[in-house]
Amino acid sequence: MTDAVRLQPEDFSVNRELAALRASSMRMGGIATFIGCARDFSEGREVTEISFDAYGSMALAEMNKLRDEAIAKFGLLDARIVHRVGLVGAGEQIVFIAAGAEHRAPALQACHWLIDELKQRVPIWKKETTQHGDVWVTPHP
Amino acid sequence: MIRVLFFGPVAERVAARQTEIGFQPGFCLQDAVAQLTALYPQAFEIVCFIAVNNVQTRDMKLALQDNDEIAFMAKFSGG
Repeated sequence: MTDAVRLQPEDFSVNRELAALRASSMRMGGIATFIGCARDFSEGREVTEISFDAYGSMALAEMNKLRDEAIAKFGLLDARIVHRVGLVGAGEQIVFIAAGAEHRAPALQACHWLIDELKQRVPIWKKETTQHGDVWVTPHP
Repeated sequence: MIRVLFFGPVAERVAARQTEIGFQPGFCLQDAVAQLTALYPQAFEIVCFIAVNNVQTRDMKLALQDNDEIAFMAKFSGG
């Protein structure tokens, strides 16, 4: 069984993450997921790949804190957060978030809250590789 | 010694991911920031967050200890 919160260079399997989430409780009536992917076009430029840098120890600690907060705030049965680091090709998966609850409303709300908070609080930075050079991305709302 | 870490765009402007500065009794975060800003002014233009030993802080009077780790970070852009 993999950890519920991870930073990893390799791609992740959505099916395996969902199976792990569902295995944690049979009381789960609603599961909401978010998958962030690398776009091949940004700010008018074609993007071939994105490089992710992270302050690993702090990022993991903050992601675990986010998961704990989401479970408490929304009454979740379980949640998982996986974020890739290193090089991610255009079209590939970057981040996976899943929130499982007894009912759909808290699962959906928690999933939305988790990705918004992750963007604000987790020390990860991305640099897009384009034909015109590499560009550090400024945060999007 | 105090270990200093840089990441992402800040590391690129410093042209290094880490360095060290000497520790002196009474040293506080503001002293470290002043010393490093003088060395890497362009990098510190984009520093938005500071963490000491993995915990974010805005307390510039925070007393530093020998072997502390400080990270200087730009706005996050993960996800």
